[in-house]
Amino acid sequence: MRIRLYGRLADAIAPEIGLAAGCSVGEVRELLAAEHAAVARSLKASRAVIADSFVGEERIVGESEKLEFLPPVSGG
Amino acid sequence: MSVTALLEPQALDPQLELAELTEAARGDGAIVTFVGLARPESSSGEAVDALVLEHHPTLTRQSIEDIAVGCAERFDVSHVRVVHRCGTVPAGEPIVFAGAASIHRRAAFDAVDYLMDRLKTEAVLWKREVGDDGTKWIEPTEGDLVDRERWG
Repeated sequence: MRIRLYGRLADAIAPEIGLAAGCSVGEVRELLAAEHAAVARSLKASRAVIADSFVGEERIVGESEKLEFLPPVSGG
Repeated sequence: MSVTALLEPQALDPQLELAELTEAARGDGAIVTFVGLARPESSSGEAVDALVLEHHPTLTRQSIEDIAVGCAERFDVSHVRVVHRCGTVPAGEPIVFAGAASIHRRAAFDAVDYLMDRLKTEAVLWKREVGDDGTKWIEPTEGDLVDRERWG
């Protein structure tokens, strides 16, 4: 699966990374938070999106899917 | 009734946006507009060269449109126009144009106030200031959140 990150998450981790498929959104979030403690709070507050729809923590991410994490917005 | 919500990657021309709104509002009695500029100084007083607004390829424009439609549904306005920059905005340049036209002025004033309060807290944008000291991510202030709460 591909993971797309925005804002301070992209700065701290990378704009896009790959991970093995079969994990849930929650598992990906926990994994990234454990590896990148400096942005763990932002990760936990981020909304998860697949195909332009918000998804819950239990959603399993397929191999061909892109999971996006949207950190709290700055606004305009 | 028309609602226009645009995400603009190039320089924003407020005069042009006002002209578009004026043309649409021939039958109205009032137009109110707001133009936000990229500030040359951060809240802590450091010089800022530019603001960089990162956006999502689809959800950012959708969020701006949702706010504009919410405005049109809530107030007695005939036209709503929002144009928001994305990308790099040099200090001093326009970052957002928000305008509304109505038969009477009060609805247009309220509509633009509402637009800006929601845009400042809900538009899907990630904003950072760029200056001599590097870059700094910006989040809505407590005041922005209080302003947003006025509208329920």
